[in-house]
Amino acid sequence: MITYDHVTKIYGEGANAVTALEDITLTIEKGETVVFLGPSGCGKTTILRLTNRLESITRGNIFVNGKNIREQDEVKLRQQMGYVIQDIGLFPNKTIADNIGVVPRLLGWSKERIAKRVDELLTMCRLDPDVFRSRYPAELSGGQQQRIGVARGLAADPEILLMDEPFGAIDPINREQIQDEFLKLKEKLQKTIAFVSHDIHEAIKMGDKIALFEQGRLVQYASPAFILTHPKNKYVADFVGADRALKVLGIILVRDVFNPCPENIVQGSATAKETLTFIENEDINYAIVLDNDKPVGYVTPKILKYEQSPLRDLVDAFPVHVRKRTSARDVLSFMLMHDILTLCVVDDNGNFAGTVSYNDIQKKIRETYTGEMKKDKGDRL
Amino acid sequence: MSVLQFIIANYKQVLFLTWEHIYMVGLSLIIATALGVPLGIIITKHEELAKRVINGANVIMTVPSIALFGLMLPVLAIIGHGLGKVPAVIALVLYSQLPIIRNTYVAIKNVPPSIRDAGKGMGMNTWELLREVEIPIAVPVIIAGLRTAAVMNIGIAAIAAYVGAGGLGVYIQQGIDRVYPEMIISGAVLVSLFAIIVDGTMALVERIVTPTGLKVQKKLVQ
Repeated sequence: MITYDHVTKIYGEGANAVTALEDITLTIEKGETVVFLGPSGCGKTTILRLTNRLESITRGNIFVNGKNIREQDEVKLRQQMGYVIQDIGLFPNKTIADNIGVVPRLLGWSKERIAKRVDELLTMCRLDPDVFRSRYPAELSGGQQQRIGVARGLAADPEILLMDEPFGAIDPINREQIQDEFLKLKEKLQKTIAFVSHDIHEAIKMGDKIALFEQGRLVQYASPAFILTHPKNKYVADFVGADRALKVLGIILVRDVFNPCPENIVQGSATAKETLTFIENEDINYAIVLDNDKPVGYVTPKILKYEQSPLRDLVDAFPVHVRKRTSARDVLSFMLMHDILTLCVVDDNGNFAGTVSYNDIQKKIRETYTGEMKKDKGDRL
Repeated sequence: MSVLQFIIANYKQVLFLTWEHIYMVGLSLIIATALGVPLGIIITKHEELAKRVINGANVIMTVPSIALFGLMLPVLAIIGHGLGKVPAVIALVLYSQLPIIRNTYVAIKNVPPSIRDAGKGMGMNTWELLREVEIPIAVPVIIAGLRTAAVMNIGIAAIAAYVGAGGLGVYIQQGIDRVYPEMIISGAVLVSLFAIIVDGTMALVERIVTPTGLKVQKKLVQ
């Protein structure tokens, strides 16, 4: 847990004094990822550097796990926290293994333990230890170097991770990939992370919460969904962008909106006639056909009317199935691409878990926005 | 009598004078390194001193060597060493300071700030950062400074013959006095040869002490 208590940072003195941060109070809970977001010069990097005392606090206090950092040895404090920066800062004179092993070595780990940890981290970053262990930073691509930078930050298994635009120097395609990898890692590792970014997309993707800064002041501190749907003022609204409704789609997951027990389900063994009766009785437009708990497709009355064979041979297959972790954004994209308004949700084994429809998503968005809609005098158009 | 014949005929004296020359240059280089490298490192951490120290070394450099010997003579005469190897070594140490301090300072300063920042942020103290990162990265440039100093000192040491320090400069000095061209040329050729050999050796040392990771980096950039 990191607590910022009325933190102010002023550079310089007298007439030349510049206030970099003004009276910041916020708490990062244990296991939470908070993104410090804002344009350059807003103080987001400064607050990170105050946290590990690379810069000194002018006024106020920072507490890490309840302990005031002013009262701790700065070197020991930094060793407890992983630190990853945009420029990576790998040591060019050291091998990858030695780079990752820096903090463990400072902490006095045994050689065997460090070697084991290095291999573990390389594997975790999807880099083959036998290949990369003894290479030098210059021999790695930018994306690989960035992974090593993250691995180095995680080396001593710190509870807290400070990351200053850690994926900023990578090209967009690799960045997307490395972000996804890091998200998976994060879920496994349960670290408290302070993450600096200027990119709203990255903030939405990585953050449990976003702290939005403007010229040294904290403007809004809330979950990504809340900031997108309830921007506090024009600055926030402008920063998150006019397409924020679309961005909300990126946060809403299928598991938040799907229908786990739809009524229009028939088994593959049923006959066409039975199904037709079922569809007419239930007053629905189509039925989803399951076979062995796996969705095989859908049937409409039009097809069924003149057919006799078993249902499983008549179905129109779904072009794609979605998972519970799929974002509403991707679901909508599938719907637009395939001209279909309902898709099946499957679990990791491919078994049917429910359906998700365009209406489900729209309803959820409407709910999310209700607060803001009211502010706009209920004018929905 | 040709130059080669002169050297062969006097080979014992040639060896002795060469040894004197090596001794003066070597000893002064060791002392100069022991002073200059730490000083160069210290001024990277105390920026306010940097300008003064480098300016000071620059001023020393502007004093002609023969004038410096003249200036030191009365001072060192107090302890009975106005002439001989003592003023020679002191002068060589002083002249070496500029290339050594300047190269050390610049090399450490040129370590990319992101590397220093990352090291500090991970919890390295000043000494650990110097030992593990800054000095290894700076070492090729520091050695290049020593190389400049060594080659320069071989030349200045030849002039030290005028204050009775010995060395290969003796042939040049005495050859001029006695209008003995073979002697002058022998001295000049030997001094030059010595300088070329030292320069080559130091270039080799420079290559050897460059950390592998930096060599790899350099190769990839080219």
